[in-house]
Amino acid sequence: MPQPPKTVSNLLSRLCPDYLWESIAGDLEEQFMADNQELGLGAARRRYVWNALLFIRPGILLRNKLKINNTIMITNYLKTAGRNMAKRKLFTFINAFGLSVAIAFCILIYLFVKDEQSFDKFHSNAKDIYRVEEYAWRTFQTESKDPYMQSAYLQLALAPTLKEELSEVKFATRFNGGWSQVVKYQNKIFIEDIAFADNDFFKMFSFPVLEGNSELFFLEPKQAVVTKSIAKKYFGEESPLNKTIAIDIRGEQDYDIIGVMDDPPTNSSFDFDILIPQENRLYYERNMVNWSSFNSPTFVQLHEGSSEQQLLTSLIDVRDRYMKENMERDKEEYDIPEDAIQFEYRTSNLLDIHLNPDVNWHKVSDPQYSLILGGLAILIIVIASINYISLALTTSASRRLEVGVRKSIGATQKQLIYQFSFESVALAILSMAFGVIIMILFLPTFNDFTGKGIRLDSGVWLELLGFSLAISLLVGLLAGCYPAFYLSAFKPSTVLKGGARKVKPGLAKPLVLVQFMFSSALIVSALVMYEQMNYVTTKDLGFDKEQILVVPTQYGWTDESNAAVAQMRNALQSNPDIIDVGGVSSSFNRGWSRYGYTINEENKAAYVWAVDPHYIPAIGIEIVEGRNFDLTNASDSAALIVNEALVADMGWENPLQEHLNWREDSIGPGYKVIGVAKDYHFVSLHRNIEPMFLSMNKNDAGHLTTMLIKMRPRDISQTISEIEATYKELLQDKPFEYTFLDEDVDSQYASFEQWMKIMSLSTLFAILISGLGLFGLAGINAVNRTKEIGIRKVFGAPLLNIFVMLNKQFIWMAAIAFVIAAPLGAYIINEWWLSDFEFKIELGWKVFALTFIAGLLVTIITVTYHGFRAAQLNPAETLKYE
Amino acid sequence: MGEFEELVLTMVGILKDEAYGNSIVIEIKTQLDRKVNLSGVHVTLYRLEDKGLVKSYMGGATNERGGRRKRYFELTSAGIKALQSIQEQRLKLWKLVPQLKFTR
Repeated sequence: MPQPPKTVSNLLSRLCPDYLWESIAGDLEEQFMADNQELGLGAARRRYVWNALLFIRPGILLRNKLKINNTIMITNYLKTAGRNMAKRKLFTFINAFGLSVAIAFCILIYLFVKDEQSFDKFHSNAKDIYRVEEYAWRTFQTESKDPYMQSAYLQLALAPTLKEELSEVKFATRFNGGWSQVVKYQNKIFIEDIAFADNDFFKMFSFPVLEGNSELFFLEPKQAVVTKSIAKKYFGEESPLNKTIAIDIRGEQDYDIIGVMDDPPTNSSFDFDILIPQENRLYYERNMVNWSSFNSPTFVQLHEGSSEQQLLTSLIDVRDRYMKENMERDKEEYDIPEDAIQFEYRTSNLLDIHLNPDVNWHKVSDPQYSLILGGLAILIIVIASINYISLALTTSASRRLEVGVRKSIGATQKQLIYQFSFESVALAILSMAFGVIIMILFLPTFNDFTGKGIRLDSGVWLELLGFSLAISLLVGLLAGCYPAFYLSAFKPSTVLKGGARKVKPGLAKPLVLVQFMFSSALIVSALVMYEQMNYVTTKDLGFDKEQILVVPTQYGWTDESNAAVAQMRNALQSNPDIIDVGGVSSSFNRGWSRYGYTINEENKAAYVWAVDPHYIPAIGIEIVEGRNFDLTNASDSAALIVNEALVADMGWENPLQEHLNWREDSIGPGYKVIGVAKDYHFVSLHRNIEPMFLSMNKNDAGHLTTMLIKMRPRDISQTISEIEATYKELLQDKPFEYTFLDEDVDSQYASFEQWMKIMSLSTLFAILISGLGLFGLAGINAVNRTKEIGIRKVFGAPLLNIFVMLNKQFIWMAAIAFVIAAPLGAYIINEWWLSDFEFKIELGWKVFALTFIAGLLVTIITVTYHGFRAAQLNPAETLKYE
Repeated sequence: MGEFEELVLTMVGILKDEAYGNSIVIEIKTQLDRKVNLSGVHVTLYRLEDKGLVKSYMGGATNERGGRRKRYFELTSAGIKALQSIQEQRLKLWKLVPQLKFTR
């Protein structure tokens, strides 16, 4: 006889109400037999599975009636659970608090991951939109080990070419964002985030257009589309359409506003305040015919039904058509190996660009972050669950009688397991309510730490509730499972006879050890991060970053900018609170330029800054050899001050006799070296100090865009308002903006500080929860041993002796956990976090000693209360019943 | 009452003493050449039972279906009335349709 598959019917028999099951199973089998004769065994079995599965539907499932006596028991369980919680308020609090914090943490991390995943999903064409990328052999040396570079910046002419020549491309746009430029309307002058795009941008991406006709956008070059908030800022309630604003991109020009868009949401990879056509970019005409300049992120939308593979194949043709000569030239010049990929176009779907850290994008993120945060959340959940388990086990003494009585009345073990699981789930759901409140309270801090803008919209609540309910149920069941089995296994005969009252802690101890280990590892990591952050913010960088105001001239890359610096200096020199005003092409953490050049057939590269003679004294760079620039010395315009790293790189014995031909001038010897500056950290401490030089030459090295104003540490805010007054007077139609140099420098480590904060927060939670757990455990331990303590006291044991005896085991546990976990934590943090820094602290005994002391201190503080209380009990009280 | 409920109810009437889940599926297939799923028939039968239009009883042990008993359904008097009133309504409406003839 052929048999129908058993798995599905087994499942169905469980879900289906008993009184219906027989006839349903019979009918199914009858059908199976008929199908078997008609269609053969295979088809019959498939049909059977399918037909059985179709029975799992509300019309059947809902016919399951809860048995009456079960509901009676549920009310009883609820009552006992409530009484138990009320009876042991402290333990209930410890458990509920731990679980609440853990659940809150989990929800926050869920929100984070959800936000990361939601990037760019709101574009309805997202699945057809691709970013074209460059994958190429690096032609100049960097610190990266990877010989290939990936970049989203491509040739200016690529987007129009693709649209014109490739049949599968429906739309194509370039998008250059992040240009901070001065915008003017009547008397309103601000700096806004300008982005350059093409007409197709509005067809491809689903940013809602509020006013204007997007079909007509950017058909003329001098047009602008602004966001809603910009419209409000400049025009209030008036419609901005057909108004004209002036935007300063190397000189002020008028733009007609033809449209208003919604502000891009926080989970958009594109950010902008004002969009203007690509044609307004500098050197547009020149770059349109230059296929070796890479400056434009390029996005294409394919026709429906066209594949990415098709696009990639076409891109190979495009490369061969337009870049062949350049590539052949480069290949020879840079000795690119024969088997290497010299250059190819690659593509990423729009939905993938946010979580692809290999290609730099200003809002890019790393999927690693979600993993690490998820790991932390699990860690905290495990710690909280362990609290529940260990407390449930060690307080089981008081539940023994209950178990005994219930069993002798006729409760089965299954029912008891059900009861205890029910209790833990009830507690977990109670904790969930508090957890959600904690989450709401912590959300602003969390947003701050992670740099996100997560808001709790009404739509997200249902999902959140579902998620937190799922987490609570999971934790309640997982944590409640072991105690439930343990408690329900008591034999009524032994329990009710009043036998041994002592509770075997069972798994409780190893679990607490695990808790300790997690906490030690977290403490070590947090301490290492703290020390490193402390190191980078206090390290001597080789220049003076205090009391220096960074003020951009707002003229950009122009001659006016140079003049503005000089003007400001002349005007401010008479101010006694100002020591000096130095000009530089870009201030710290505001970008850099690096030139590659060939000397003696060797490829070299150096960072270049354009400065004026006041720069070096203003920020206190030390000159170890030679002299500073001098305006009165005409030849200084072709002179350099190099750093020690460059001297070492060139292998110069006597740098002041040398020239550096970095412009590859075929006639002259190049720039004369007039001074050597002591190495200072012009980039962040993530990187080594590499060759660098300073120059006064405006044409070759660039213009001064920023002034650094060194002030006396008197009344800083007064001095700043004086500077502002001078600025407003001299550079009338430019907005005055400033930052402090030390803050600029510190902000290089913002993302690392973020992680330090997240780590500290998790550590704090972990210590708090496991401290609470330990506190409870110590209390139970003391209660279990009251008689022993009483007897010891009768025999004259001193207080301290008893105290030590009680707490010895916890101290041991802390020590063991430390020995196992601290090195592990240190290793992980060293590999994952510290390795990004070129300059970093040594992992010395100090961090470990601190961790150990911290762990020990937490342990001693938590166990002391119970230890002393137990040790101080009068033996007459504890022993009087014996 | 839905169309499918009506169909199943009619089938219970047609099959009389032999009305159970699988026989109804087969009958619908042979009479109307329409494929229906067993689970749908079952759910409908239980719903009709809730409404008091049919009642069910378990049959005797069988050999063919792993020894499992069948759950037979039969019309209650309310069910018969419901079927009758549906037929009457149909007839009444049919008479109101003006001369539907084939035209050549």
